[in-house]
Parts: sequence; C-alpha cells; structure tokens
Amino acid sequence: MENLGALLHGFTVAVSPYHIGLMVVGVLLGILVGVLPGLGAPNGVSLLLPLTFTMDPVAAIILLTSMYWGALFGGSTTSILFNIPGEPSSVATTFDGYPLAQKGRATEALSFAFLSAGFGALCGVIVITLLSGWVQKFALKFSSPEFFAVYFLAFASFVGLGGAPVLKTIVSIGIGFALAAVGMDSVSGSLRLTFGLDQLISGVSFLVAVIGLFGIGELILTIEEGLHLKGIDARVRVRDVFRAMAEMPRHLATLLRSALVGIWMGITPGGPTAASFMSYGLGKRFSKFRANYGKGEPDGIIAPETADHSAGTAAMLPMLALGIPGSATAAVMLGGLMIWGLNPGPMLFVERPDFVWGLIASMYLGNVLAVVLVLSTVPLFASILRIPFAIIGPAIVVICFIGAYTVGSRPFDLWLALLFGVLGYLFKKLDYPIAPLILAMVIGDKAEDAFRQSLIMSKGSMTIFWANPLVATLMALAVTLLVWPLLMRLWRLLRPAG
Amino acid sequence: MLTRRALEIAFAGATALFGAVVAWGATEYGVGWSPSGPDPGTFPFYIGLMVALASLANMAIAAGARQPAGRPFMTGDQARRIAGFVGPILIFVVLSLLLGLYVATALYIGAVMLVQGRYPLWHALLVAVGLPLALYLLLEKGFRVPLLKGPLEALIGL
Repeated sequence: MENLGALLHGFTVAVSPYHIGLMVVGVLLGILVGVLPGLGAPNGVSLLLPLTFTMDPVAAIILLTSMYWGALFGGSTTSILFNIPGEPSSVATTFDGYPLAQKGRATEALSFAFLSAGFGALCGVIVITLLSGWVQKFALKFSSPEFFAVYFLAFASFVGLGGAPVLKTIVSIGIGFALAAVGMDSVSGSLRLTFGLDQLISGVSFLVAVIGLFGIGELILTIEEGLHLKGIDARVRVRDVFRAMAEMPRHLATLLRSALVGIWMGITPGGPTAASFMSYGLGKRFSKFRANYGKGEPDGIIAPETADHSAGTAAMLPMLALGIPGSATAAVMLGGLMIWGLNPGPMLFVERPDFVWGLIASMYLGNVLAVVLVLSTVPLFASILRIPFAIIGPAIVVICFIGAYTVGSRPFDLWLALLFGVLGYLFKKLDYPIAPLILAMVIGDKAEDAFRQSLIMSKGSMTIFWANPLVATLMALAVTLLVWPLLMRLWRLLRPAG
Repeated sequence: MLTRRALEIAFAGATALFGAVVAWGATEYGVGWSPSGPDPGTFPFYIGLMVALASLANMAIAAGARQPAGRPFMTGDQARRIAGFVGPILIFVVLSLLLGLYVATALYIGAVMLVQGRYPLWHALLVAVGLPLALYLLLEKGFRVPLLKGPLEALIGL
C-alpha cells in the first residue's frame, strides 16, 4: 500500500499544465521520429537529450519518456500503412498489420495496434508500481560484487536470449566496453586508450554513437533497399475505432500472454524487439486465431504490439532500481539521468522519490495521452511519409549531425558520427547486434568500477563473486544464460542420436 | 564482386585488429595487480583480448561456412545508391568543419534537391534557406544551444 501512496504523490508531481504540455510535445515528436525512416526511439531520445541538460530532471525525463512512447506508436503506424517498420520492434507488426490494412481495414488495424499497445504499456507500468518498492529493498542489500553480478547478468542475457549470433554479440559488447574505457579513468584518474589523440581525452560519447549507429546506419540501409511507399488510405474512421474496441475482449488471452512475455523481456534485458517476435511466435502456436496468422488477423497485430509496449515500459524498472537499462532507449535515458546529476540505482528511490514516482505517474498519463494523440494524428504523419526522400533524407542527416554536435560542441564528433554510421550499417548487414554495444558504452564504466572495487575488497580473489547466496545466485543465473546457446546446440545434436 | 563471405571475413579481421589495439594500448597502464587494486589497464586489456579472440572465431566461422559461391554482398545498383547518399554526407561533414553547420546544411540540402531530386531552383532555395533558419531559431533562440559557426556568421556578426 505504501507504493500506492507514493504513486498518488507522484501524480501530484506529474499533473501540472507544464508537464502535460511536455507530454504532448514529447509524444508528438516521438511519433514523428517513429514514423520517419532512420530515426527511431533510441536516437530520437539521443537527439533531444542535449536540449534537456538545463531542464529540471522531472520535466526532462517526462519529455524523454513521452517521446519514447510516441516513437513506439509511430513505428507501428508505418508498419501497418506502408509495410515499413519505423522501429525494429515493430517488424512483427507488419506480418498481420499490413495485410489487414490492404483489405481496406486500415483504421481497424491501427486501432488494434494502438489499443493493445496501450494495454501492454499499462500492464508494464502497473508491474513497475507494484514491484519497485520490493526491488528497491532488495537492491539496498547490494554492494560492489552484487552490482557487478547484475551487470554481468544483463550482458549474459543479451548473449543467451538476444537471438543474434553469440560470438558477434560478444564482439559488440566488447567494442562497447572498450569505447567506454577511452578517456579519463574514474578510479585512478589516468588517461586511457587515447593513443596520443587530444580529441579522445574526453572520451567517446554514447550519444554520438547512438546517433551514428541507429540514425545514419539505418538511413544507409533504407537507401540500399530503395524506399517504396505503397500508400494505403490513411483516413481514420471513428466507427472502425469503436468496432475494434468492441472486438478487443475476444483477444483477452493473447493480450495477457503477450503482456507477460513483454514484461519478462523488458525486465531481463531482452528488449522490446525480442519480446514482439517471441510474442508473435507464441501466438502463432497457441492462439485460437492461429490459423489466420499472416493473413491479416487482428490477433497477430495484438500479440507483438502488446509485448512491444509492455517490454518498453517494463524496461524502466531495472533502469531506475538497479541502474541497468532493459533496452537501447532505456540505456540512453540512463545516460541522461547521470548527466542530470542523478544516480540511478536503489538510492534514487530514497533520495529522489518525487523524481521516481513523478516519472511512474507520468507513464500512466503519457501512455493514455499517446493512444489518443496517435489515433487523431495518423493522417498527418502518414502524409509526412509522402514527402520525397530527396528532401526528407538529407533533412534527417542534418538533424543527426547537428544532434551529434550539440552533445559536447566538439567538431570531432561529426567525424565520429559518420564513422559510427558506416559501422551501424555494417553491423546490421552482418547480423551484429547494436543494442549490447550501446548498453556496454553506457554502463561500461560502472561495471568496471564495480569489478575493480570488488577485487579491492577481496584483495584480488575472484571468490568474492560467489561469497554470499545473493551474489552467487545472480552469477549462477548469468553463467547459465551465457552457456544457454551452447546447451541448446548440444541438446539438438544429441536428440537425434538418443 | 564483393561477396558476403569476403565482407564477413574482412569485418571480423577489422574487429580483431580493434581488439588487439585496445589490448596493446591497455598494457601501457599496467595490466596486473598493484597495492591499490587492479591496474587501470587490466579491464580494457582483457576486453580487448576477448574482442580479438571472438573476432578470430567469427573469421574462422565465416571462412568455413558453405555458401553458394560468389553470392554478392550488394548489387551494383545498391552500391551506386549508397555511394550517392554517403558521398554527399562526407562532403557535408567537411563543409561543416570549414564553413559551420548552418552554411553546410544550406549547401548540402540545396545541392541534393537540385541534383538528385531534380527540383526547380526556387524550390531547392526555399528549403535550403528555410531549414537552417528554422534550426537557428529553434536551437540558438529557443534552447540557447550554439552550433558550429563559420566565416559567414562572423561576417554578419552572429
């Protein structure tokens, strides 16, 4: 019940004309970056972050999270109307969303997507509300070895559950850690890995990396594939919205199953993309509507959308309580928290309850607002996509580079953004996952500090990571996830023989 | 023609080199144990080593993979499209460093619209002047975030 009291207090923080105005702006900007090719939630938030440096943290996080919700919705819009996923996490929405829209039922398809997304998001926020008090008590028992174990667990789950080739995931994580180490070492104060280059003394900003990897890289991919817009009538008919609403209860089983999948994947850093695919796969197997999957079945829209959004919101829980982001976008926001002078982790709940609960309350409001806004602005944003690429492409490029420059006012960052852009393109083409790299860049220093402090505590003995039941459990879980792909392969090899 | 397999191997080679350079660079700061705990280079050293080893394994996997021979990584058409997109970006970055972001934006957008989009001149001019102006008002006036400026801004006293 104390959580409920705290939440009510949070609403008094979040509900002000200024904050609600920020939510509207954030959601609309979010839909815009979600709709535009090349821009998505992670780099949309990265682009906006430098503009929030001087804002009050509560206002800043409300703006950024609202943008995140908006981007998740915007990504689904293009999936359904144009068969172009605006976000990686809305790829699974194209499987049934686009066919349904082609049948002339675009409004229904969009309504199913937005309503189930809203449902998923609310499930995610409710879980955060219920669990955060408990997670916080749990996390207060943490010291350096436990923190390192949790970081290790986060990376292990990318390797074990991420779905990308294991060795490529490891390379991606390693590159992120190495980039995080460049510049001033926070423990000893010495300059590391600068190779005599003055430009590297201040380190490599993860924001520039996100803008390059996701923004420029994604644009190059879009160009390579050639952009084909086969427009579908994007007018929203109110009658169809209500028809979709009336049909929602029939899909309750899918809604609940998908929300569970999403919450699980959001809290363990599987992320929204993995969650939506997994949920679609489960639906295809267990749903009573499974026969029509792939042919424009509403259930096939509801499954990935619910999971996508519940994962997106649930990813905020480990970010706030433990300082571990559950998705690439959450990783960027975590970096923002540190820039605003907040210390993510269990102490945040004690030191800044107004911030934490204001944010949680804003997540309820922001998501409801987002459903309404996205439904009413579909025609507007669909028309933006009809602007020829010769204008919109260079405009996005310019916005990405300006965003990269505003991070630290360093001209060198323009080159870095271009370099990361090419790298992002190669990563995508060769199936290297990008999210682990970002996560490693953001929490690399913290993970390293936890590791070093643990070893100082134990005078160099690695047994400290197995010293008490809590840290041993976390480590055992991490190691299991790490060898999981190997176990699966062995099992597959042995099965035909046995 | 560049095959996917060749690119896999080349990229794995590049990441292996990156890992090796990181590990080698880390040795400069000590990779052992000192009275105050692990040396600053320890963590990056092992990270670099991990990247290098995993990359070598990736390379071996790519080299050993049975693939239809000569499957191209991209078609000539795709390569041309990418070059036509990345080339102007490269020029844009160089121009930004020389002339500032606003002027470079105007030149880049205008040129792409004229040459690649085949828009009428007045159309391209409108966007090429309008976008930097809008950005200036939003960033410098709205958010008080200064962007990189060049000789033109100095000339008109901004």
